[in-house]
Amino acid sequence: MILSLLIFIPLIGSLVVALLPERQTGLFRWIALAVTLVEVVLAGMAWAGFDKAEAGYQFLQQVDWITLPLGNLGVVSIDYLVGVDGISLPLVVLSAVVMLIGVVSSWPMTHRQKAYYSLYLLLTGTIMGCFVALDFFLFFLFFEFMLLPMYFLIGLWGGPRREYASIKFFLYTLLGSLLILLVMIALYLSVMDPVSTAVVAGLVSDSSAVTDDVIRSIQSFLQNGQLNTSQVVHTFDMRYLADGRNYLPNTFLNPATEPIVLGLPARMLAFWAIFIGFAIKLPIVPLHTWLPDAHVEAPTPVSVILAGVLLKIGGYGFIRIAWDFFPDGAAQYAQVLAGLGVLSIVYGGLSALAQADLKKMIAYSSVSHMGFVLLGVASLTAEGINGAIYQMVSHGILSAMLFLIVGVVYDRTHDRRIESYRGLLQLMPQYATLTAIAFFGSLGLPGFSGFVGELFTLMGSFQSEWLPGWFTAVATLGILLAAAYFLWTFQRMFFGAPWLGPFETKSGIEPVIADLTLREKLMLIPLGAMALVLGLFPNLVFNLTNATVTQWLVKFAVE
Amino acid sequence: MPANPFQLPHLLTAIILLLPFAGFLVLTMASRRVAQLIAVLLTGTGLMLSVLLALNLPEQAVVLQSDWAVLSGVSFPVTFRADALAVLMLLLVHFVALLVQVYSISYLHDEPKLRRYFSYLQVFVGAMLGIILAGNLLVMYGFWELVGLASYLLIGFYAERPAASQAAKKAFLMNRVGDIGFLIGIFLTYYYFDTLDFTILADKGADSITPTILGLCLFMGCVGKSAQFPLLTWLPDAMEGPTPVSALLHAATMVAAGIFLLARVHPLLSPDALVVITVVGTITTLWGGYSAVFQTDIKKVLAFSTVSQLGLMVVGMGTGNVTGAMFHLLTHAFFKAGLFLSAGAIIHAVHSQDMRQMGGLRKVLPTTFIAYTICAAALSGLPFLSGFLSKEAILGGAFGWAEAQGSGLALSIPVLVLLSSGLTAFYMARQWRLVFFGTYRSETTLLSAAHEPGWLMRGPVVILAVLSLWVWFSINPLSGSGGWFFRLLPLADEPHFWWLAPVSIALVLLGGWAGFRLQEPNADRSYVQLSVNYGFLDLFYDRLAIRPTVRLATFLNRTDQRAIDGVVNGAGVATVVLAHLTSLLDRVGVDGLVNGAAWLAGRLGQLTRSVQNGRVQSYITAAVMGLLVILWWLL
Repeated sequence: MILSLLIFIPLIGSLVVALLPERQTGLFRWIALAVTLVEVVLAGMAWAGFDKAEAGYQFLQQVDWITLPLGNLGVVSIDYLVGVDGISLPLVVLSAVVMLIGVVSSWPMTHRQKAYYSLYLLLTGTIMGCFVALDFFLFFLFFEFMLLPMYFLIGLWGGPRREYASIKFFLYTLLGSLLILLVMIALYLSVMDPVSTAVVAGLVSDSSAVTDDVIRSIQSFLQNGQLNTSQVVHTFDMRYLADGRNYLPNTFLNPATEPIVLGLPARMLAFWAIFIGFAIKLPIVPLHTWLPDAHVEAPTPVSVILAGVLLKIGGYGFIRIAWDFFPDGAAQYAQVLAGLGVLSIVYGGLSALAQADLKKMIAYSSVSHMGFVLLGVASLTAEGINGAIYQMVSHGILSAMLFLIVGVVYDRTHDRRIESYRGLLQLMPQYATLTAIAFFGSLGLPGFSGFVGELFTLMGSFQSEWLPGWFTAVATLGILLAAAYFLWTFQRMFFGAPWLGPFETKSGIEPVIADLTLREKLMLIPLGAMALVLGLFPNLVFNLTNATVTQWLVKFAVE
Repeated sequence: MPANPFQLPHLLTAIILLLPFAGFLVLTMASRRVAQLIAVLLTGTGLMLSVLLALNLPEQAVVLQSDWAVLSGVSFPVTFRADALAVLMLLLVHFVALLVQVYSISYLHDEPKLRRYFSYLQVFVGAMLGIILAGNLLVMYGFWELVGLASYLLIGFYAERPAASQAAKKAFLMNRVGDIGFLIGIFLTYYYFDTLDFTILADKGADSITPTILGLCLFMGCVGKSAQFPLLTWLPDAMEGPTPVSALLHAATMVAAGIFLLARVHPLLSPDALVVITVVGTITTLWGGYSAVFQTDIKKVLAFSTVSQLGLMVVGMGTGNVTGAMFHLLTHAFFKAGLFLSAGAIIHAVHSQDMRQMGGLRKVLPTTFIAYTICAAALSGLPFLSGFLSKEAILGGAFGWAEAQGSGLALSIPVLVLLSSGLTAFYMARQWRLVFFGTYRSETTLLSAAHEPGWLMRGPVVILAVLSLWVWFSINPLSGSGGWFFRLLPLADEPHFWWLAPVSIALVLLGGWAGFRLQEPNADRSYVQLSVNYGFLDLFYDRLAIRPTVRLATFLNRTDQRAIDGVVNGAGVATVVLAHLTSLLDRVGVDGLVNGAAWLAGRLGQLTRSVQNGRVQSYITAAVMGLLVILWWLL
């Protein structure tokens, strides 16, 4: 129930904002604030009520949505099915927090508030939906619906090249969605719902009577061809999609028969299609170029959400869908995948070094940091997967902070070029302190969360049976590069003699550059504190992820 | 058996560690005047608690442990461990930090950012204590990086000076290069031993052959932090920080962390790794020594002498002489801090760091002169001073090691190290002459304006000079082997070369005499340039690392914009073109058909209209004919 509230309260809020008359301008942001506050409370309740020792899904809620018998094609069944486990819960909590910060960051926005907050709340609901949906169809629905508000938020409230950026974002992501959709349909045709099938086949009277034994026997019936195709209930349920024994014989995604499509193993094709779909989102080099453009054009709060939450859906999709449904592909291509992760780390880091635009620099640093997620996931070790989830949470906090930091100077001067600033340490001492915290946290200083994520993804990749050790050695260059681009930027913007440069007002009375406002501190200080607390007590996250990850890894056990 | 955490030593260890961090928090809120007092009081308290801990140290090490991260049943704990070596370092760090902070009250009297200065120093002390008390490699790495942050903040303390911010960044990045190796070394250690705990590693490491690469990776950490070849160029630049900081971080304590690391992981170093370490130490001691020779900045001479001495300690570690190296770390901390603080007094007096502007200062700064002379003599390795004892311990160990290796090549190591100690005497004597003898050469500051600083600054200098005498370490002025240090940490084997002491004393006297008599050569001479630019090492970095990296970064950025986005935009354009093509096809082809059909229908309509001419007869005729046709078709 709590998860449904997480999804539907923002959706209802979005509707309310849309239905209220335009002249209630002052009200919209308060509604958004109230809704996102409720979201944080709900996410906190889910966290508090979560059983850390339980590996499976919790807070499950299932409602039959669409059931349609199609004769020889079996039965179509789409459920409203939500639940969280140790992989999704940290991301749900993260999303709630970042969405709240995003509202605070949107506070001074005056342009078309009604549409803005309506879309914002729609985005909030769909993001939550993505992280808690356990029916692939439902997930895909949320995944697609998330693009819509995002497209408009960049396209309507963005910078000068917003149309190019938003269309690029849309097309890239649409390509990804298309690939995911294709595989989703193929999966659907290949997988049965053992519980419902058992009921249809008459093994048990109703689904509540289904035991593990029944499931095992129905699975063996299926594999031995003893089931009539019209009795097979097809499903989008991720729990069943993740189990190879539920795949119908003679379908082209059956892991046992290794079917060939277009001269290539079908499951490998499907794995790569899904991988690319989510790799665009993460993003992974060379599918990343939408990100810098989207960030540069997006308004600050949208950048915060984009970096803080949206990218994580890519990593989440890897763990929940690509790797879990196609463990054979993930294992077979572990080296290639980890290699792409390493490439992203180094490529993103080097590109960040070359940027003159502060926001673009941070966007590329995101590419680099997300590379650690792929490297950790591809390592197929407990350290790597836990570390990858941790890295997503940590990056969610720190990147939100970094983009807010860009917003602080941009709001004051409408200039994001690094070269336009010098000596800010003396002009804006509080801002400098918080920037230093965000920069050092992001470059992996122990004590902050960034270190923990990088440490364990790297350690996982080093311990991995699947990967050569030199991958890790190359990936550590990312840590060095991060220190280089962050410190170089810090040196250029904050050190040196104070200089107002291009912003010197003619009168000389009114300083353009003033230190942080209370609202800005209210966003930056909690984020910095979270990065510190998580860095000092990483078990806050690992306690949640441990049990689920341990079970998740069973598939990849090396015999 | 888990130790009771409320025993006195455990409590003391915890409090000592937490004190500076609490101090940092307090200092961020304290007022300027109070800040310096709080800082001094905190470090003083830490020192007293450390003494108390030393007096109550149990036979077994004090261990504090707590879970930090647990991943699928594997725990990575936070462990702190106080043993004799750690407590010794605790005393040292607290003591020097206390003196330096007292000194700073006076030295930075007019500094507006004083509170920030003292709070950074607390961060440093806390991080350093963390390294000392670390019970496993991961904890050590954490505090290791934190020390790097403190160093960054303190080097860049004069943030408005471009050189200071540049030096701060350089120090952090160069250290990171080493730390990457350190981190990989930690991964390797975990891979081979399944633990990072020092106690367990010491047992396991002694029983098995460890891969050389593991030891070398861990040594990388030392190369960065302790400014070993080739990562030594950040240390001279770090002199941009306030002089008391140079004394504390970049001479006495922080740079010694690498040596301490080697002491902790010594059981993991394979024989081959030790040879590499010895060679690197030897190169460093010579490189640093030669670079010190022709420097004109008073602090840079001292910085390079630090590099050189750290190289000497690394040679000690490499030759298996942990005790000798740690002993030298201890004595070096006192006399090098003394030298830096004296240099601070000199800079304070003449407002310049350029030794070419000084001269004849022995008359106006008598106390500083005496303290400086004692410390410099200790550094050079003259008998009756602490430096002599510790240097002889390392040299003796190195000759013993060469003997055991049994090759002539190995013998070259201790010989080179011995020569480098002559070099030390040479450049210290040169500096001594340039600063204190001859005539005063500055044209900007009057000699009469120069005066001794107040007792807050003079006191620490005098204390450090007194502590550089032999008597605190050993009754015998020519050998430390009977002293308390070697009872605390016994030497592995005690080599004795009767000729070593006389030879090295002779070398030191010879070097000192030459340095004192040296005619300053023209600065254009290539050997001077080689020394002043420390072998052009930075030039190599610029050409071989920094510029190619920046070029690659620019290239990749362009790749993003041209190649990848070219494909993306190209695909976009192609789609639009395709759309236009299909629309053309629509207009010409499909629409053509549709229009054609319409046209045909129109023509047919006209045709039929001409048939429908209103005449009943023709209707009937047509109807009958149609009927006939249908009938014919049906039949």
